[in-house]
Amino acid sequence: MTLASTTNTAPLTIFIVDDESPARNRLKELLQDCTQHMPLKLLGEAANGQQALDQLSTTPADVVLVDIRMPQMDGIELAQHLNKMSPPPTIIFTTAYDTYAIKAFELHAIDYLLKPIRQQRLLDALQRARTAVKIKTEVLRKVSAQARKNLSSQERGKIYLIPIEQVCYLRAELKYITVRTLTREYLIEESLNALEQEFADIFIRIHRNCLVAKKEIEGFEKLTEADTNETHWTVKLKGLDEKLPISRRQQHIVKEIS
Amino acid sequence: MLAILARATSWQEGTQQIVIVSALLQPVLLSSLLLLFALYPLLAKLPYPQSIALVLVLVGVVTMAIQNWGNIFYLPQDTIDQNYYLWRNILSACAITALLLAYFRLRTQALSPALHQAKLQALQARIRPHFLFNTLNAVLGIVRANPKKAETALEDMADLFRTAMSHASELLPAQQEILLAKQYLALETLRLGERLQVNWQIENLPDDALMPPFILQPLLENAVYHGIEPLAQGGVIDIQFYKKEDALHLEMTNPRAIREHNHNGNKMALVNIRERLALQFDIEASYTVESGEHFYRVKIVLPYLKSTADRAKHL
Repeated sequence: MTLASTTNTAPLTIFIVDDESPARNRLKELLQDCTQHMPLKLLGEAANGQQALDQLSTTPADVVLVDIRMPQMDGIELAQHLNKMSPPPTIIFTTAYDTYAIKAFELHAIDYLLKPIRQQRLLDALQRARTAVKIKTEVLRKVSAQARKNLSSQERGKIYLIPIEQVCYLRAELKYITVRTLTREYLIEESLNALEQEFADIFIRIHRNCLVAKKEIEGFEKLTEADTNETHWTVKLKGLDEKLPISRRQQHIVKEIS
Repeated sequence: MLAILARATSWQEGTQQIVIVSALLQPVLLSSLLLLFALYPLLAKLPYPQSIALVLVLVGVVTMAIQNWGNIFYLPQDTIDQNYYLWRNILSACAITALLLAYFRLRTQALSPALHQAKLQALQARIRPHFLFNTLNAVLGIVRANPKKAETALEDMADLFRTAMSHASELLPAQQEILLAKQYLALETLRLGERLQVNWQIENLPDDALMPPFILQPLLENAVYHGIEPLAQGGVIDIQFYKKEDALHLEMTNPRAIREHNHNGNKMALVNIRERLALQFDIEASYTVESGEHFYRVKIVLPYLKSTADRAKHL
């Protein structure tokens, strides 16, 4: 994003995410060793995904070293949220042992570092980092073994995490999807079909443009439109006043759920 | 017998033939059996091929003798070649004996203690590569800042792997198993810090109790991997190990993370322990699992063994 001539001289800024403190320590020492070979600057470290997002939104880094297996939010999910930053950082995954992820990474030509990491290997990865192609979010989703635990929305440079269990419904508007929780609405740029697939056990489709959380359904009501006199079913969700229309094609869910 | 039935043309002829053949067969069988029983001490001392040869010769001689003594009964009216008849019977007696011996040989090989041993060793729970590489990484992470701590960690690791690679069937003092488990937990604490809390209740475990090695560690490793690591705040693993009546009771409870998906065949370690206990103690040991929404509990009951005499029964 900045001028190409300046990026070559400015030190590469780096951020570490790993839930184990000796592992972070090891990376810091290795980065220190690498500074003899290239200009580097460690911006910070975090023990989990939430901390990482908070810190990186105020001090963005060029490269984020992300451990794959972490509590709450795994590294692959964190990478998907980090991809919403502008510009997104280059992500380098680290893992001690994860046959599943490694197989997937090989398949999609994603670079990763095996812990314990050798200094030369880290240096190679960092030297490639500036020119490296960013991993696409769709690819990350394919690589991921499980559904995300959060959706994320970017607002004025900050990334907000929306825990999936707080979502009442998802509704597609023109270009965005509205994510409704009990307290507020967020806008995200994703495809409703992909969301329906990823969270198949959480949401149910009630309309071409709407998915509702199954556990939030309070009941169903039949409504008659005043002007056309047509009747159709609606869903009432817990804690929300609005009633969401069920399309004719999806009416079978009324019987299936109630 | 089947051959007779196949040759017979009617039920009557069949039964008649069976009676005739049995008249020869039964004395041969019974006297061979008696003879072999009497000669058992001698046979047991001979090497396997020689004893086999001797058994075959014996059976042959017995057949010949009985055939000769009972010549009047056994000689079929229509057979002229008495010599052929005699040799046919000796040969078939030897062939049947050889087949039986081969069968018993195979059977003992299949059920031999050596195989039992090999099976136990194959089942010897293996340390997860996840743990190995993460721990090595953690040790590298502290080696510059705290070399002393790194040394202890590597020593603990050496002990752990030595036991993991040791003979599986030998019972060891339960206290030693507990020490090993504590060394393992020290390594995990290196990585996980405050997140890993362990609550030991082992006051009522007799010092002389013996148990198979590597039961506790894989259980704990499982608890750490599935119960502690996925929790950002960590949790407590409870271990109760005590003697009640003539049995040792081991209970381990760990928190369970919700929505933890797994694709690594996580139950392997536990299946492994269950099978090893079954191989070693049969029904004298039991292994049960109880799991709720937020916890996972394994209960193991072992016979209380303390001396080498007790031990011999189970080896």
